[in-house]
Amino acid sequence: MTRSDDAGHESTAAVAEVFAADDEVGPDLAAVDWTRTPLGPPADWPQSLRTAVSILLSSRFPMWMAWGPQLTFFCNAAYRRDTLGRKYPWALGRPADEVWAEIWGDIGPRIDNVLTTGKATWDQALLLFLERSGYPEESYHTFSYSPLRDDLDVVVGMLCVVSEDTDRVIAERRMATLRDLGSDPSVVRTEQETLAFARDQLARNPRDLPFTATYLFGEDGSARLAGATGVTAGHTGAPEVLPAGVPDALWPAAELARGESALVELDGPAFDGLPAGGWPLPPVQALVVPLQQQGGMPYGFLVAGLNRYRQLDEGYRGFVDLVAGHVAAGIASARSYQAQQRRAEELAELDRAKTAFFSNISHEFRTPLTLIMGPVAELRDRLAESDPRTSGELEIVHRNGLRLGKLVNTLLDFSRIEAGRTQARYEPVDLAAVTAELASVFRSAVDKAGLDFDVDCPPLPEPVHLDQGMWEKVVLNLLSNALKFTFEGSIRVAVRADGREAVVTVADTGVGVPPEEMPRLFERFHRIENSRSRSNEGSGIGLALVQELVGLHGGSITADSAEGSGTRFTIRVPFGTAHLPAEALSDVAGSTAVSTTAAPYVQEALRWLPTGHGDAALADVKAPDDAATASGPAVPATVLVADDNADMREYLSRLLSDAGYGVRAVTDGVEALEAVRAQLPDLVVSDVMMPRLDGLSLVAALRVDPRTAAVPVLLLSARAGQEASIEGLQAGADDYLVKPFAAAELLARVRANVELSRLRHHHARWHTALIDSLQEAFFVCDEEGAVVEINTAFTDILGYGPENLPYTPAHPWWPDAEAHPDGHRRFADAFSDLLGRNRGSHTIPATHRDGHLLWISVMFNPAQDPDTGRTVVVGTFRDVTAEHYAIQRDTALAALGIRLSEATSLPQALSGALEELEGLWQARGVLAVVFGDRDTPTVTGTDPDLSWGDLDVEARARLGALRERPVLSPVVHGGSGAGITLEHPEGLMALWLDLDGRRPFTDQDEVLLSLLAGHLAHGLGRAHQIDQQRETALALQRAILGPSQLPNGFAVRYEPAAQPLEIGGDWYDTVPLPDGRIGIVVGDCVGRGLKAAAVMGQLRSACRALLLQQTGPASTLMALDHFAAGLPGALCTTVFCGILDPETGRLTYSSAGHPPAILASPDGTTRLLDEAGSTPLAVRPGAQRPEAECHLPARATLLMYTDGLVERRRRPLTAGIDEAGEAVQAGRDTALDDLATEVMDRLAPTGGYDDDVALLLYRHPAPLDLTFPAESSRLAPVRKTLRGWLAQCGLPPRAVQSVLVAAGEACANAVEHGYRGTTPDEVRLRAEALVSDLHLTVADTGRWQAPEPEANAHRGRGVALMHAMMEQVTITPGPNGTTVDMHLRIP
Amino acid sequence: MTTPLTLTPGRAPDGAAVLKVVGEIDMSNTDAFDAALDGIEGRLVVDLSECEYLDSAGLSVLFAHASRIEVVASPVLVPVLTFSGLATMVTVRGS
Repeated sequence: MTRSDDAGHESTAAVAEVFAADDEVGPDLAAVDWTRTPLGPPADWPQSLRTAVSILLSSRFPMWMAWGPQLTFFCNAAYRRDTLGRKYPWALGRPADEVWAEIWGDIGPRIDNVLTTGKATWDQALLLFLERSGYPEESYHTFSYSPLRDDLDVVVGMLCVVSEDTDRVIAERRMATLRDLGSDPSVVRTEQETLAFARDQLARNPRDLPFTATYLFGEDGSARLAGATGVTAGHTGAPEVLPAGVPDALWPAAELARGESALVELDGPAFDGLPAGGWPLPPVQALVVPLQQQGGMPYGFLVAGLNRYRQLDEGYRGFVDLVAGHVAAGIASARSYQAQQRRAEELAELDRAKTAFFSNISHEFRTPLTLIMGPVAELRDRLAESDPRTSGELEIVHRNGLRLGKLVNTLLDFSRIEAGRTQARYEPVDLAAVTAELASVFRSAVDKAGLDFDVDCPPLPEPVHLDQGMWEKVVLNLLSNALKFTFEGSIRVAVRADGREAVVTVADTGVGVPPEEMPRLFERFHRIENSRSRSNEGSGIGLALVQELVGLHGGSITADSAEGSGTRFTIRVPFGTAHLPAEALSDVAGSTAVSTTAAPYVQEALRWLPTGHGDAALADVKAPDDAATASGPAVPATVLVADDNADMREYLSRLLSDAGYGVRAVTDGVEALEAVRAQLPDLVVSDVMMPRLDGLSLVAALRVDPRTAAVPVLLLSARAGQEASIEGLQAGADDYLVKPFAAAELLARVRANVELSRLRHHHARWHTALIDSLQEAFFVCDEEGAVVEINTAFTDILGYGPENLPYTPAHPWWPDAEAHPDGHRRFADAFSDLLGRNRGSHTIPATHRDGHLLWISVMFNPAQDPDTGRTVVVGTFRDVTAEHYAIQRDTALAALGIRLSEATSLPQALSGALEELEGLWQARGVLAVVFGDRDTPTVTGTDPDLSWGDLDVEARARLGALRERPVLSPVVHGGSGAGITLEHPEGLMALWLDLDGRRPFTDQDEVLLSLLAGHLAHGLGRAHQIDQQRETALALQRAILGPSQLPNGFAVRYEPAAQPLEIGGDWYDTVPLPDGRIGIVVGDCVGRGLKAAAVMGQLRSACRALLLQQTGPASTLMALDHFAAGLPGALCTTVFCGILDPETGRLTYSSAGHPPAILASPDGTTRLLDEAGSTPLAVRPGAQRPEAECHLPARATLLMYTDGLVERRRRPLTAGIDEAGEAVQAGRDTALDDLATEVMDRLAPTGGYDDDVALLLYRHPAPLDLTFPAESSRLAPVRKTLRGWLAQCGLPPRAVQSVLVAAGEACANAVEHGYRGTTPDEVRLRAEALVSDLHLTVADTGRWQAPEPEANAHRGRGVALMHAMMEQVTITPGPNGTTVDMHLRIP
Repeated sequence: MTTPLTLTPGRAPDGAAVLKVVGEIDMSNTDAFDAALDGIEGRLVVDLSECEYLDSAGLSVLFAHASRIEVVASPVLVPVLTFSGLATMVTVRGS
């Protein structure tokens, strides 16, 4: 540039020159009136300023600078676009502190520092509120300020290079909130806890959510505030209740109920004084989103106050939606838990209904009872002296009348309590005295039972308010209970004061309660089965009543028990009257006298006790003392009497002993069986209805056992009729008598049976007795394997009795070879072991006579038969079916659990589970059909190709019918299939097992199926959650990874590891440098998860900024060493860093422990860029790093990657690198982006990558992409550019000319034909060089004219020329333009 | 801006009329090329030895004057002249 003397000319020229580097900002800078600034006209600017401005304008990276005393502001086009916003062009030439007035407090001191010290500053992700879009905007910037010097080397300004991190910082913040919300899904919480948990998490992000309010809909359509963050409950903006049907409600509840979101302007007076959250000023808008319920009206809605410093864009909206989704999912799970609780309550409701029924009936009993009891009492008095026998019998009537009356009264108490009709009267009472008095009533009974009775009731400091009648029932029931279940030791009653409560304990040393029964102890009508007690009489409502009565006193009752050592009941009743209804209080002190209520309790208890000493249950009433009586037997004989009714037992005993029999009495069938086995009686007289084991079962049990089979049994029953007696006789009873019966008839029958039995009496076989006493099944096999002897337990277990001995092999209990091939084989193996005369032990399946499969654990030994001298095999076994199935269940659940936990998506979880079920049942196939929102149900099967359309009508109907069933209750169709329904996240799912029909689907299988289905439902829910989390994680990872715009010629991929689903620490980056070169970075941080991602984000930003300072790759990595050394988690990060000149293909690079880049040349050779390798980051901070240079040949491809691409277990890394090199070579003629996909696919291990992979490809030169106006004058410059690019491609001159001509013709056509008569538009030329193929496209947006050869002879020639010059020409005219596609083979 | 093109009429040593073409010919400047050819009467040698590019629009001008011209061309243009069929109608000499 020469200077002219003409000042005006010079000025214009200088302006043109200074601002020429950019045609966007340049003209606007030129338009500034610089004479009004301290800098003066551009012509007078020093060279240093002109240079600075040129650099600024020619850079594609966002920069601004300030120069001179007022720090006059300049910026380039990139800065205008990214940061300056609406302040352009106003800002140009103004003082910097005016341009950035709103953030001058932040940046002013930094700039001062640069100006005074001459040292650069560096800030990372600094929060600045820019007012570039018409509002103060939250934004984050990573930038450096460097000094600018004038021609005299004095610092007079500063240059700012900036990159904006806003998206990354905000994405990370939102991700943290979503992660925290999903961090504790395992524990079932109540709705309240769930909401509290969500509230705590939301409160931790006051920047995105300055305040939130969660409302839940009530049944009446109103909405209730269920949780809030930021804003305090009671603020007018967060009212407790939003009534239904109010048109101008604060929040649009009606729209939300329909599932629609709404954006609300917070401008009413109700919104005054809203909190600002993490910001200086409160929100001005709130987004209100429904809490969606699957297949139903929303649960409620979430009001999210919006950050006023950000726009509500897709990302922000999506974030609020995800938050609401999390909250809704939490509510769903809490409510389903509540629903289960409710079901339990409904069962309790059933119990109450039962009470009501009984009490209604009981009421009807009272009148007749009174009519019985009155006359009986009179008769008792009148006949007391006359006939002891009559008076004894009257005594029985009286006692049983009392008992029935007590039962009726108890039931009535219940119905009163339930109906709230209790007429309680709470009087101040001396609790200790009343309790002691009640206890004393029981003393005689306790003494009689041979138990110690310890009553410890010292006076209490103050009276307790009690309803006397109720309290008596409480104490009497507990005492009666204690006596009933205590056979030795003591009963203890104690009263104490404990703080503001009186404590009454009733403790015994009885049989105790099994732990599994404890939870149901106070349940109504619940009786503890098979517990030893003094009586089997009882309705199971005593303790339930006690609990209700104590509750009416505002007290509580608890029980502690240890099986075998006793039970202790503890009642706590508050002192004072605050807990009692005022209208039921009386201040008249009650008496301590015991009412008449006590009599039936004591009388009943006394009836349980033996009349003499010894065992209460087995009463030797009287030994026969007279050898012969009229009706008695000729020889003394023993009769065993079994009846649970004590009066009946006593009556029979007396009758028989009077007749000269030895009598033993027991209370039920089990005791009878034991008594018979212990000592054979001559006759059993048994009631049919008995607890534990009834009369018919007793007969059956006796008949099955050879030792007792011959004992005659006479059954007594209240059931009349021919059928009943036939049933008795069929069961094997010898005789049958219906109550009521005449004493004479009974005696006659007894006598006949005893005599008959004596005639057929056989010797007891001690051998049999011995074997049968074994609890394990016993058998003897002869040499051929035939079973020749068995015991009772054998029959019990397998169902095969001694009547069909011998059993020859294959024995009938072998598992069916057809239905259970595996079981059959196992049994056969065990049997051959047995035949081989080995000692053995096996757990094998066997078939019971009734067909069900069971599992036995068998042991056998060879033995010598002393009689014959032959070798036999003696074996024992026991039934381990329950254990076997328990193990099988555990194994199946574990296997399913593993499948579900391995799955990384919902479909994968489901198909894995189906395979597991198929294997478990050896099914022909397993089918899962989800009836979701879609029209056609979704089918997943072990046959992957199956769809709903493939199913036949029958199958569809079957699955449809299954839908009607409650979830988790299996349906079995013979052996051919079984189905069950369960909850799938997308709707109800029907599961169908297609079985082969050979093997029955047993009860055990059903239990297992419903367990597995339950497990599966839970697993699918979890997988669904993982799916959602994966999508969120990927979206967010993409937001913080990599540049949004790749330079031309690059292709990239990022693939997260298939397992586990976490964000990784791999990254790639390309950084366009101001001089046109491109920085390339591929790196890999140690570890996974959010922490690694955060480290990655910081390293990426730092590396980016360092590259922008135009240092080389080695210096960049050395600076990064220092940065990483101070960043926790950054140690040992590997980085490949290169700087590429896309014009020349020159690449300088340095590697910090990273796998080498791979360079695939067009001549087929592959080279590793491994000349500048060194240690990972921060391992040796300060150490010099090497740098190497390499020249990318034309049409060569460069691959940079992280180790996840090539590293495989048990394989050297080099093998993976070679494979990657081959993949790139193989794709030499594939377009770059397709090549990236090919490389990822080809190297992926089965099951997906197990580590993150980041991959970056570059092919030199980058494709040419030109867009120019359709004007003939542009043809020459386009040709020039194309010629230069073709030279970069390294083509021979002849090929270059061919391409030029063909491209020139296509462009000329586009110019001439595409736009004749219309305004010129644009033409796009694209050229890409593969290794042996050059691909050229010319596209316009107009329509070509039909060829008119005469008028345009030379145009027809143009197309012919294209064909002549290129290998392949395709012209595609279309309504939106014409595209010419041409290929040339490169030799 | 049109494509750079210099057209210099002259005489060959043998006295024949010559039009020396330096630069590139495309549709933007064929009118000038055509006018230059029209400006010379009689037989004419079109010297394209320093012409780097010639497209079908330029060819059509040459075709219009095919009866009276001879063409001198550099090797890079020969394929275009050959493929277009011009070489069968006029004498094409190498430079």
